Amino acid sequence: MRKQENPGRTLAAVAVRDVSMHFRIPIEQPSSLKEYVVNLVKGRNQTRLLKALDHVTLEIPKGEILGIIGTNGSGKSTLLKIIAGALEPTMGEVEADFDSVLLLTLGTGFDRELTARENVYLNGAILGYSRSYIRERYDEIVAFAELEGFMDQKIKNFSSGMVSRLGFAVATARETPGILILDEVLSVGDQFFREKSGKRIQEMINSGATVLIVSHSADTIRKNCTKAVWLEKGVLRLQGDPADVCRAYGEMGKGGMQGC
Amino acid sequence: MERTKERKQYFFVVHELVSRELKRRYSRSRLGILWSVLNPLLSMAVLSMLFSTMFRRSIENYPVYYLTGSLLWTLFSTGTNGAMTALTDNKALLLQVRLPKTIFPLARVWGAFLNLLYSLAAYAVILLIFGIRPSLSMLAFPAVTALAFLFTLGVGNVLAILYSFFGDIRHLYSVVLTLWMYLSALFYPVSALPEAVRRLLLLNPMYSYITAARECVMYGRFPSGFLWLSMGIWAVLSWAGGSLVFRKWQNRIIERL
Repeated sequence: MRKQENPGRTLAAVAVRDVSMHFRIPIEQPSSLKEYVVNLVKGRNQTRLLKALDHVTLEIPKGEILGIIGTNGSGKSTLLKIIAGALEPTMGEVEADFDSVLLLTLGTGFDRELTARENVYLNGAILGYSRSYIRERYDEIVAFAELEGFMDQKIKNFSSGMVSRLGFAVATARETPGILILDEVLSVGDQFFREKSGKRIQEMINSGATVLIVSHSADTIRKNCTKAVWLEKGVLRLQGDPADVCRAYGEMGKGGMQGC
Repeated sequence: MERTKERKQYFFVVHELVSRELKRRYSRSRLGILWSVLNPLLSMAVLSMLFSTMFRRSIENYPVYYLTGSLLWTLFSTGTNGAMTALTDNKALLLQVRLPKTIFPLARVWGAFLNLLYSLAAYAVILLIFGIRPSLSMLAFPAVTALAFLFTLGVGNVLAILYSFFGDIRHLYSVVLTLWMYLSALFYPVSALPEAVRRLLLLNPMYSYITAARECVMYGRFPSGFLWLSMGIWAVLSWAGGSLVFRKWQNRIIERL
């Protein structure tokens, strides 16, 4: 169940109530129809239930900067996708204003065969900007990505740093989002661009956005967040002060995790 | 207010997706969009060279006969083929978009439809050359095309879902398409077929669309009630079925990609 924000009901920007996400993972993943049919005939199409999220309940008040930490495959990205409204949970419900969610991930979805200008329009449209809005902000986007003079070139001739700079500039061109979700994006571009993008994110945070940061690096979480959550195998293990959560997470990794 | 804004955004996104497809398709060619006009003409020339003497007795104006069918067939084949891979090609965009995910196959089918519109320029010239006079029945042509569009969209939606689960549907479908094309009387007269096969053709939706288009453009007759019924039923069935399948499975697709 998805719900639009209901201001009378709660003060939280995001409320995740008893959410579970189950995936059916075939034990032998048939990648072709032939395999599927063969397996079906042999009665081997068994599936295993993967509980990516298992009864997770989470309230994020407005203005909070929440860090989510956990090993690979612990369900962090699944949780983000559900909060962003891209995925519907198997059980439970999420309350959030889906229209004001901005999900920043590293894969930008640019088309390598198109020019940078065409990509700005295509990507902007997908992100929900109107044509006039993109036109208005176009120069600003180009300036922020530091790509003046490159915009009529095809993206495939760009370096990966240039592409991610453009991706970041387009995604953050909107009015301040109500909920900002950062999926491992705090390391985009070179050192100077990183400072600049960090500043922009800081501006969004200062203007009252609720922020969710996913990171493997406990350092990032400790420095930026007001609260942290530790997800392990889909279960919410611990939530609370970032320093405490990171310490517990580090102990679990027996010092194997960096930065903790 | 909110609704019109949403609708405007919907059209903007589809427009951007379609124009991207067109740019991609012609990005390496000099003549660009002109190929949409040249392509049907060239294949018409080839087919006419091969078959027009063979079918001289049974088909009058063979080039027009072929071109009429091929316009609709190209809409269907490029539309469904494009829609099939639409979701997997746009993996990264799927997560970002807040609009219904059907826009991706829709944009591909719409691209194929635009292609048909460009080809109409060539079609008009050929009609003129062969002295086919404008008639009132030609007004039925847009309706026939619209129904064919709906049919294509429905099949495309189902294929888009199937392809995300089984990559080799693509190879299977190309074989199916070839067979389907031969069963659509694209370049031969129906009278060349044995009676039993001819009855089978009546079950082929594409044959209905092609026949109806020929009726109203080439022969100056409005398509029969039976044809309209068959075209309408296929279009609605395909469109409704396609939307149903798509809505039911689209969430699973995001999990899979």
